[in-house]
Amino acid sequence: MAILEEPVKGILEVKNYIDGEWVESKGEIQDVVNPLNGKVIGRVPISTKEEIDAAVEAAKAAFPDWRTTPPVARARCLFRLKELLEANFEEVSRVQTQEHGKTIDESRGETRRGIENVEVACGIPTLMQGYNSEDIASGIDEYLIPTPLGVFGIIGPFNFPFMIPLWSAPYAVATGNCVVIKPSSEVPLSQMKIAELVDEAGFPPGVWNVVNGGRTVVNGMLDHPDIEGITFVGSTPTAKDVIYPRCGATGKRVIAQGGASNFMVIMPDCNLRATIPALMTSFFGNAGQRCLAGQNVIVVGDDDRFYKAFIDGVVDTARKIVIGNGLDEEVQMGPVRDAEKKKKILSYISSGIEEGAKVILDGRSDFKIKGDYPDTCFLGSTIMENVKPEMKIVTEEIFGPTMGILRVKTLDEAIKICDDNPFHNADAIFTSNGRTAREFKYRVKSGNVGINVGIVAPMAFFPFSGMPDSFFGILHTQGKEAIRFFTESKVVIERWP
Amino acid sequence: MRLNTSASVISYAKQLEADSAAFYENMAERYPKAKEISLTFSKENSNYATMIQRAYYGVITDAIEGCFAFSVETDKYTFEREPAKEPGFADALNQAIDMEQKLISFYTDAAEQSKAFMADVPRTFLIVAKKRKGREDKLRTLLKET
Repeated sequence: MAILEEPVKGILEVKNYIDGEWVESKGEIQDVVNPLNGKVIGRVPISTKEEIDAAVEAAKAAFPDWRTTPPVARARCLFRLKELLEANFEEVSRVQTQEHGKTIDESRGETRRGIENVEVACGIPTLMQGYNSEDIASGIDEYLIPTPLGVFGIIGPFNFPFMIPLWSAPYAVATGNCVVIKPSSEVPLSQMKIAELVDEAGFPPGVWNVVNGGRTVVNGMLDHPDIEGITFVGSTPTAKDVIYPRCGATGKRVIAQGGASNFMVIMPDCNLRATIPALMTSFFGNAGQRCLAGQNVIVVGDDDRFYKAFIDGVVDTARKIVIGNGLDEEVQMGPVRDAEKKKKILSYISSGIEEGAKVILDGRSDFKIKGDYPDTCFLGSTIMENVKPEMKIVTEEIFGPTMGILRVKTLDEAIKICDDNPFHNADAIFTSNGRTAREFKYRVKSGNVGINVGIVAPMAFFPFSGMPDSFFGILHTQGKEAIRFFTESKVVIERWP
Repeated sequence: MRLNTSASVISYAKQLEADSAAFYENMAERYPKAKEISLTFSKENSNYATMIQRAYYGVITDAIEGCFAFSVETDKYTFEREPAKEPGFADALNQAIDMEQKLISFYTDAAEQSKAFMADVPRTFLIVAKKRKGREDKLRTLLKET
């Protein structure tokens, strides 16, 4: 199999997209580096406060016209964007692999998920309908009109550079708001490509803006009086201690999605043949860098024969994972995003060992890279046994290709471990027993629950759920909840004496 | 060669369709009495490749096991891109039947491996396998008549 062609050939100069124009920033410039080989593939500006202010001003100025644009006309802009994204599907997918390192299957999956959100938002003429009651008293009617609010800020993370801003932006603009997006400065190329297509789709200037940068841009959004709300996806410390309280302090609506430490509960009656690949994807897909990734397995029961078969199966499969260039179609796991992140993952593995975990597959050294690439950002899959619920590798988010294994006697104990963990993003059970599955689904405190599914990623027409400390806010991104988040409920009571 | 990822299996399936189309185009040139059916098969191959690619692009997401859904040993499914030089029409038909059987076996095996993971992809593979079974029957009828 050939390695797919790289879409980014030289060094892309990333600009801000403000008021329908590509604008050079006055801020300092940072390299965008391909984690595969350390090659610089772009330069991104770290924009200034004046630049985020200019974007908000442009969005605010565009709002009155955009909100009076009929929803069907706004939907047509989104239909055009959807068509352009489909036409550029392969290119935008490969850009993700180049800037992030993930495999081409993973990038294409990310592209599909992103486009699905645009598709759902295309239904805005019906999604945005209110409701009414005739004759709440004789001759008096009452109705609800969802109305847009103004300007929203969208702050994206590094792990899904294409998809995550699309959990919010299509719904925000479909409902008549205008947006300012801040992509992760590590991976800004995907959002630049989307903005190019937004431009081509014919959105009016100022409706969709992109400002690259770091803390200055985030602070500029949080403090800006003309930003009505923020959606954020990133780490829990930032979501919990920065985004959520500061939105509260400035009266903004907020969706703040943080980190996770998810459990996959394995019942001895599960179908191992189907479970093991699901676990590989859950723990090692995207090199473990996703908030829905499994971090620890809980094997239930005292059947030692099952336990051995399970361990042998996961270790043998994980050991064979093909690691290398994400544009090589045979590769199953790419590098982690950068050397700093690799260092952090290594420190968690060391901490697990210090606390008593036993490494049975050592991804620190026991791996081979397919092709001639430096190992700067590469790790193999690590599997650790004898893991206890109080260890740091359970209570903190690792965000890397590691699997910890805990053993308990009963489902009750497994659910207790899930519920006692500080994070409640996504937990799953693998079983062939419907009653056990229902028990788990009913009782576990988790925003996204999987039954024989390792990555519980909700479709665009369902909310991307989550509970503290993985989520802060009330409404979630995607689907109907996003429509509610981006609109105010105006209630009208009408009487004609 | 073993293929585990969806991307590699889809590319491989498209390559098999292209190779099989090349075989039938060659057969159409060499055996005028099989021209019509061979060109029809060749055209169908292109439709199958499109169907497979569409199913993959439509269903691939981060929620399914895209990188871990298959375990395809490609050596089992190799065939010649053109009919053997010397033999006659009956031998070419036998070669075509053999090729179709290998392709049916590829699609059936790949569908079985990925049925728990890849949703519409194994379904499409089985549709293509079924169509090819019909094709195999047609080739056998032609062989009987020869």
